[in-house]
Amino acid sequence: MTIRALEKVSVGQNGIGAFILQCKRLDIHYCDHSGSSRGMNSFIKTHLSKFAQRHPAIEFAVSPRPRKHPVMIGHYINGRQKAICVANMEPSQILKKAELLRDASGDKVKRVNKPVTSINESVRGVWSPYHGNGMAV
Amino acid sequence: MKRLRLDRLAGQLLAAPISPAARLSRPSSISRSIPQTCRHASLYNTQPCQRRHQSTVVSQAPLEEQKQEEEEYLVQEPEDGEPTPEDTLRSGPLPSPHPSRAASSAKLAALHARLSLSPKIPIETLARALVDPSADAHPKYNNANLAYVGSTVLHYHTSETLITRYPRLPMSILFTAMKGYAGNPALHQVARAWGVESAAAPGEEVDPGLLQYDPMKPTVVMNKWGYVRAETIESEKFKSGKGLSGRVMYSSNPFGESSAAKALPNFEVDDGRNSKTMLLQNAPANAHANFVRAVIGAVYMHCGRDAAKNFIKSHFLSRTLDLSNLFEFKLPTRELARLCARENFEPAVARLESETGRLSRTPVFVVGIYSGRDKLGEAAGPDLDSARVAAAINALKAWYLYSPGQVSVPSDTFAEDAAPWKPAYVDIGEIIS
Repeated sequence: MTIRALEKVSVGQNGIGAFILQCKRLDIHYCDHSGSSRGMNSFIKTHLSKFAQRHPAIEFAVSPRPRKHPVMIGHYINGRQKAICVANMEPSQILKKAELLRDASGDKVKRVNKPVTSINESVRGVWSPYHGNGMAV
Repeated sequence: MKRLRLDRLAGQLLAAPISPAARLSRPSSISRSIPQTCRHASLYNTQPCQRRHQSTVVSQAPLEEQKQEEEEYLVQEPEDGEPTPEDTLRSGPLPSPHPSRAASSAKLAALHARLSLSPKIPIETLARALVDPSADAHPKYNNANLAYVGSTVLHYHTSETLITRYPRLPMSILFTAMKGYAGNPALHQVARAWGVESAAAPGEEVDPGLLQYDPMKPTVVMNKWGYVRAETIESEKFKSGKGLSGRVMYSSNPFGESSAAKALPNFEVDDGRNSKTMLLQNAPANAHANFVRAVIGAVYMHCGRDAAKNFIKSHFLSRTLDLSNLFEFKLPTRELARLCARENFEPAVARLESETGRLSRTPVFVVGIYSGRDKLGEAAGPDLDSARVAAAINALKAWYLYSPGQVSVPSDTFAEDAAPWKPAYVDIGEIIS
């Protein structure tokens, strides 16, 4: 028993192995009367059923929200939500927004300024001053 | 060699619907056929009868034989076809949603699609996988059976992968690595990454797409690992067998845990009447983990061995666990000396390779460990002794974490046209035990 084991939990990375779509639910709200919902109403009539068929992994919830602007709310696996107001938009624009919500990971928008982020150790290793021939001062 | 027919043993998971009267009289026989995971069947019998239709059904064709058996069973039933008075009189709501509601749940369909499960797995089976034994004690409506099948398949694939990929791991590290990949904390994280939400409280009216468990009720813990010795219970009682060889020999647990609480076949959650060891520490994690195991069991039962293996590979074995961080050495230099003696290497010698600032406040010594002309390990440290110890640790890790690369695992030979099994290299064991 000279070796004791420290307990660690394995870390999963989405897409390595299996991929899980992060958007789990899309709430779609509309109003029957307001002019700002005209595009949304025709989106629900024309595009939504096809869009929902193409994405069985997302739960769609359509509900009226009278006297309010139409809105789409995405719910994500990490517990966050993303809401987009689609007032006065054309159905094709609303489809773009729905695709945006589908593709989002739910995280806050972050600036990515490194080409690669990895949890693996560097293959090349870290430079050491104690190895090699050294530098003459 | 004759193969174990797991599909025969677990056939009740795929049972075709039978008449409710027969079903109500059967739980005791069910509880006998599954190994100790459901002792709440007897508990259920004392409760008022509740009628429901089991509907986790696959296509009828492969089940003809089993159906005939069921019918034979029905013939022997004395009260067959005659609804008993208790049967017609349903008292109170069901403990979990009716299986027929599974087809109309949007959450459940979305979960099925999100996991890319095969259409061979009925949505009702997924609904059943979401019902923990603490929510519904009836073994035909909770996930205990599926979770038992799933946990054995998961532990099998995890252990064969670890042993063939890292043949020299010490047992304690192997146990911990098993836990890191297939233990409750890891499976809890997997369930959360699958986007499973849990219901506030279980009940008939809950959406079947939500995980249902009750932290205050008895549940089932999957910690069995095949055969359990009769001596195990005794050794638990007298606190013997706590060394590593005792853990290997007597532990009934895939993670080598041998404390009295964890070796019990069933945990019960109770409000303090039981001893502290009988209390489940983390009920949500246990319920989530059992759901994940039940999904693996469902994949195994409905889609077969290969699909289950692929599912486990893509969801569990693809996760990252840095095994070199699991080691904690007590006597690394002595262990390295014993290793060199065992393997007939020349005795290990520590040599100072480079140093700087010996008389300063922050000296650095780089020490290498050599066996003859071979360098076994190297490390830097602030003094000579700690640098030597760190170098010995690096040398030992290099030995223990040897990996032959991609090698075949025993389950590869299950395929029909598989090449005959070539024995994999596995180290003889501990250096100092």
